[in-house]
Amino acid sequence: MLVLLGPLTGFAQSRTVTGTVYSARDKEPLPGATIVVKGTSNGTATGPDGSFRLEVKDPAATTLVVTYVGMTPQEVGITATPIRVELTSSSKDIDEVVVIAYGTGKKNSLTGSVATIKGDALENRQISSVSRGLQGQVAGVQSTAQSGQPGTDATIRIRGVGSINASSDPLYVVDGAPYLGSINAINPSDIESISVLKDAASSALYGSRGANGVIIITTKKGKGQGTTINARVSQGYSKRAVDNYKTMSTDDYFRLYWEALRNTGITNGLSPAQAAASASSNVVGDLGINPYGTAYPQPVGTDGKLVQGAHTLWNDDWDKAMQRTGHRTQADLSISGTSEKSRYYIAGGYLDDQGIYLGSGFKRYTVRSNVELDAKKWLKVGLNLAGAHSDQQAPPSEDSRSDNYVNYGRLMPSFYPIYQRDPATGAYVHDAAGNRVFDYGDYRPSASNPNTNLVQTADIDKHNVLRDDISARVYGEATIWDQLKFKTTYSADYSQRMTHDYTNPTLGFDAPIGGTVARGSYRTFSWTWNNIFTYDKTFDEKHHISILAGQEAYKYKFTFLEGNRSGFSLPGLDEPADASVLLGFTGYTDATSISSYLSRVEYDYKGKYFFSGSLRRDGSSRFSPDRRWGTFWSIGGSWKMTEEAWLKSSNWLDLLTLRASYGAQGNDNLGSFYGYKALYVVNSNLGEGGTYRDTLANSNLKWETNLNLNVGVDWSMFNNRFGGTVEFFERKSKDLLYQQPLAPSTGYPSIARNIGALRNRGVDITLRGVPVNTRDFNWTIELNATHYKNVVTSLPQKEIISGTKKLMEGKSIYEFYLRQWAGVDEKTGAPLWYVIDANGNKTTTSNYAAGTLAYAGSALPDLYGGINNTFTYKGLSFSFMWAYSLGGKVLDNDYPFLMHTGNNFGRAWSAEMLNRWTPENTKTDVPALTTNNTNWTSASTRFLYDASYARLKTVNLSYQLPKALMDKAHLNGITVYVQGENLITIYNHKGMDPEQAVSGVTYYRYPAIKSVSAGINLSF
Amino acid sequence: MKKNRYILTAILGAGLLVSCSKSFLDQNPTNQVPEEQVFTTADNVETVINGTWSYAMETFFTFSVPGFTSILRASDAMGSDVAITTKYGLRDAYTFVEMVDNTKNRVSAYWTILYKVIDNANSIIARVDGVTGDEAKKARLKGQAYALRGWCYLTLASFYQFNPIVDPNAKAVPIYLTPTTPDTKGNPRATIKQVYDQAIADLVAAEPLVQGYSRGDASKKYKIDINVVEGLLARAYLQTQQWTLAQQKAAAARVGYPLMSPDDYLKGFNDVSNAEWIWGHPQTPNQSNASYNFHFLDVSSPGSYYYSFMADPFFKNFFDNGDVRTKLFDWDTLPSQEGYLRYKKFRFRDETALIGDFVLMRSGEMALIEAEAYARSGNTAAAAARLNELRTARSAYNYVPGAGNIIDTILVERRKELWGEGFSLSDIIRTNGTVVRKAFTAYNGTDSVINVPRGNGTFKQVKAKGHRTLRFPDGTPFVPQSKYYLFSIPLSEVQNNPNL
Repeated sequence: MLVLLGPLTGFAQSRTVTGTVYSARDKEPLPGATIVVKGTSNGTATGPDGSFRLEVKDPAATTLVVTYVGMTPQEVGITATPIRVELTSSSKDIDEVVVIAYGTGKKNSLTGSVATIKGDALENRQISSVSRGLQGQVAGVQSTAQSGQPGTDATIRIRGVGSINASSDPLYVVDGAPYLGSINAINPSDIESISVLKDAASSALYGSRGANGVIIITTKKGKGQGTTINARVSQGYSKRAVDNYKTMSTDDYFRLYWEALRNTGITNGLSPAQAAASASSNVVGDLGINPYGTAYPQPVGTDGKLVQGAHTLWNDDWDKAMQRTGHRTQADLSISGTSEKSRYYIAGGYLDDQGIYLGSGFKRYTVRSNVELDAKKWLKVGLNLAGAHSDQQAPPSEDSRSDNYVNYGRLMPSFYPIYQRDPATGAYVHDAAGNRVFDYGDYRPSASNPNTNLVQTADIDKHNVLRDDISARVYGEATIWDQLKFKTTYSADYSQRMTHDYTNPTLGFDAPIGGTVARGSYRTFSWTWNNIFTYDKTFDEKHHISILAGQEAYKYKFTFLEGNRSGFSLPGLDEPADASVLLGFTGYTDATSISSYLSRVEYDYKGKYFFSGSLRRDGSSRFSPDRRWGTFWSIGGSWKMTEEAWLKSSNWLDLLTLRASYGAQGNDNLGSFYGYKALYVVNSNLGEGGTYRDTLANSNLKWETNLNLNVGVDWSMFNNRFGGTVEFFERKSKDLLYQQPLAPSTGYPSIARNIGALRNRGVDITLRGVPVNTRDFNWTIELNATHYKNVVTSLPQKEIISGTKKLMEGKSIYEFYLRQWAGVDEKTGAPLWYVIDANGNKTTTSNYAAGTLAYAGSALPDLYGGINNTFTYKGLSFSFMWAYSLGGKVLDNDYPFLMHTGNNFGRAWSAEMLNRWTPENTKTDVPALTTNNTNWTSASTRFLYDASYARLKTVNLSYQLPKALMDKAHLNGITVYVQGENLITIYNHKGMDPEQAVSGVTYYRYPAIKSVSAGINLSF
Repeated sequence: MKKNRYILTAILGAGLLVSCSKSFLDQNPTNQVPEEQVFTTADNVETVINGTWSYAMETFFTFSVPGFTSILRASDAMGSDVAITTKYGLRDAYTFVEMVDNTKNRVSAYWTILYKVIDNANSIIARVDGVTGDEAKKARLKGQAYALRGWCYLTLASFYQFNPIVDPNAKAVPIYLTPTTPDTKGNPRATIKQVYDQAIADLVAAEPLVQGYSRGDASKKYKIDINVVEGLLARAYLQTQQWTLAQQKAAAARVGYPLMSPDDYLKGFNDVSNAEWIWGHPQTPNQSNASYNFHFLDVSSPGSYYYSFMADPFFKNFFDNGDVRTKLFDWDTLPSQEGYLRYKKFRFRDETALIGDFVLMRSGEMALIEAEAYARSGNTAAAAARLNELRTARSAYNYVPGAGNIIDTILVERRKELWGEGFSLSDIIRTNGTVVRKAFTAYNGTDSVINVPRGNGTFKQVKAKGHRTLRFPDGTPFVPQSKYYLFSIPLSEVQNNPNL
């Protein structure tokens, strides 16, 4: 059809006018400016690089009108040579161009809700993953970096939690296509801007996967004249952001363990005297070591006190020994610019981010080449190619296993020596070469990891993840006729993750079996091919219409391979080929695909009234053929009131815009790729093939839908000295994809169903102010805040209990449902929980299992956001940002490890245990000691803490050298800076890092780090 | 020039259409297969028997719950003769705070394993008749499915309610006889008698179907044949006090499986090729999850990580001096386990791969079932003959009729012979008995210090350690029919089964 249409355009005799539109203020190109032949509807808009090309058919035309929202329109004459137009601000407001779904738009003309973060806000940050740069920056974005392991990503939630079992993660889009590579493969230095699409009007065009919001990352392009070279280097140091839990001294430990033994003896029917004697004689035997030396074989007397003269011969701090000061080095180099027919950005980066725990770190090498060519007058082609290689040392730190590097030192008490000691004197034992000998503690009880010493083996064993990421975006854009354009883009993301876990054959955990090695390969390859027609036209200088229609196909393929062996032939070797016993080898492939058709229409009248509508249909391989297609749509409108005659003359109001949008987006990501099929797992048994029934089919499974309402107002006043945005939002998720629990006696824990509905309702506020603005000194402040309530609005059954939460209509999905702590029995010292009968009457029980489960508050915060301050004085700039999260609760699962009553003897004790119940200390919330398990550390409100915190996320002091100096040195600019991250944390529950998972449950994670760095940026 | 752009557009447009083929949206897993693909041939159905077995035996819930045989560990941990140390694993089962607590992982794990096997067995029973293949094979597969299901119901009956002699109408656990569908809601608890009846009915149904099936060499001893079915029936009849049937089935079960030699008894109970083993689960380096149980059982191999199954020092007193089994006792002088009485019955077979096979049924047990069944039905002479057959094989003194109650003697012999094999708690429940644990102290209540001979002729003085938990967690003494003996039904079942 297009081929037939084509010849129609060939008749008119026309001239071609080209040129570029810049902002007069900063000489940056202005994309999206409108160029119209005066007195006609013939016009065009500038591209992302500010350039335009217009065919003028009327031989009599002499003048072009160049307009841009917020800028004074300008008339220029038509010439044969390229025209350079500089527009000046109309002083009403400065509008910025933002990247939106499948294109760009002017911020103040959007009907939807889009927030942006400029690349400079990330440039100097000490972050290895972009996802960590969003916290506190944008209203509505909840970001928690729950692990301090270098190279890990933060969890992002945009405007609440949209799903229960299906993914609530936003969609990442890099340079126009959904990105499924590693987020940490993107060098933050290469980022031009990040757009966060929060509502339906802005993100519905990503219908199938936009339900949880979209984060669009746009990488840098060549701009400006000539070639610019940028180099930056920074060095930094890091340590733990908040102190660990306080633990008790060796003396206290021995006294208390004696008490635990004595109490148990009495429970077992011994007389107090017998029990005390037995305790005194067993303390050392149980703990396996006597830190008081052989001179005091029974350091704790039958009175429960340390015997006269006994003092510890050593006090080792394992937690400290497992940590170090992390060291971070980053270097980036980029070359960018434009020539007559091309724009380019070529960059390379190096990062070495050493973790604060032994054996942890992240090294990354990145290259990127973004090139765009004007191949023909009507054809533009481009290729963005990025490659990253990273080597992450990621020892176990989000796992309850005993070699969790974070837990290991924390749980080891001070009386176990790191190096072997003489049992009589406490002097170090030396080997033949005169070196200290690490103590592997074969005498330690199981709670303190006998036969291990991670302080030594952390440097020998390996937990490495090698990643190779290649991301390509290749596109061609053809102008077919007038303003009708066709753009085809093929995007491919390849990500290969290779793990290498090795434990050595001679020392530590796996020495008895000669060491182990596991190699895993996780390959993902995803591609998106989209073909989009756009048409953009202004009629009569009033009616501006923009139409987009196209098609998209997406496929994701994941291939997994893993093999492991044990029994190394010789020490010093660490590959599978070197080990003798094959333990296992497995692998499989998963694939999913989506096919889509999409369209969008935007219309505005005189830059005053804006309307948009979009429609998209997606088919997903995750659903059965009858159920796989879903339709997603949005409508939106905005009214720029300051363009109305009656407000235009206002001298204090610069901008006032009302916006509203509504639409539906989808979510197909239940985790399982084949939820609609009845499947048998394939396994094997002793060399024979095996299968077993694993999944119950639900052929009715279909898309989860998110209905998203956004109403907002943007304003700016007093010469843009004060402005902001207030938005109300309501996200209603229905047909939630949920693994509905079943009675396990049916043989299945759950079945995938579309059940129930969920609502997130809240408000985003962003306020910007410029309290001081003089020639040399400027202070800007920006505050953002989000409040939302998450409510389950419909469930097919009265309640669904899962883990520490219970779903019920009217409650949030992260509402804790726990046994209620009732304190300690003043008479016996036993832990108590409430038993609540049907009438709400409370009694207590010391049997944990008999305690009644009840609601105990939500993990979600009441308010979160950030406060940004920037002060500039001449070339000096000082800025800092606080991120805060107020309200919500966190269930600390880490702390109870240190709160045993003596049943896990040999494991460190928190200092709080000193407050245990005794006949003298009866009013306490720490029960009496006993070596029997009382279950008191099981999940209950006892360990539920307020999750509020505020964190000084970044502080930056930078100085840009005066221009006069630099001209002499033939430089464009030099900036030197010092930067701090997480320097101050205000929080409640000491010991636990307050940044934890959104669900409010801790999991022995690598804690957040604080860091200080200094750097220099050169430009020439 | 313009033509070019139209041609280009046309080419791209054509490519666009190609990408929209219908199959583009059909994706299939590679490590799972659709149900309809499984139930086509008898050979394919056999994979369900294998896969289910592997699931039951090898699924890790936590490292302390490595598959089905971990149920047997809990049974011993909650008895009288194993003094579990405080090391990770079974310590909370031992102190009676774990299985009574429906929030515990171990509680939900056992339940999950048993009912997963039941559902898979139901699936085979319901669908095997409809597949193609050899009729004899189909019958055998169905028989094995019945036996698996009967075995699971027998296990459930053994631990989730007191023996029917206490109250046959006491509610026990739900019974499912058809495969679960998406609409299955959960069944109500059946009475303990109904659960036993179901177990026996399944095993009786299996008998003719597996008759004549030969499973092959010793490495296939995990497969269910007629001997296994008869042995399970012997247990079921013993537990339901049907003495004659119990004796007959036990005798039938051990045909072809002579009692092992004294030497073999000392070899670590880790090899399925042992002549006496009727039923066992082999382990290989690449199928070794179940072997993790040896980390608890094995108290002497250097590679054993938890070595927590120590013997109660009083247990040693049950044995005569000449008994080959006494050679397994050894007072421990190693650091961190000093003073424990090791009973080195279980040892890893391969200390490099840390694997060992599991015994599930052997002739020694069957001989004792025969002996007990005879004794309880009044045939003391036959009972003594069976008992002495075993004692002779173990180089122990023979029982002399009249020297003590024969039934008590046989029950003690079961504890001696089957220590660590999973019969402690089920025997206590079956006999309506009680746990017996005493502190191993000197006569005056102080520590009991013993001299342990070392290899070099010296002696080491160590404080002997025995039971550390002598009462229930609420401080009351051990009694029969305590709630602490029963495995609880997991919280997730209580919460999600409206009919329970």
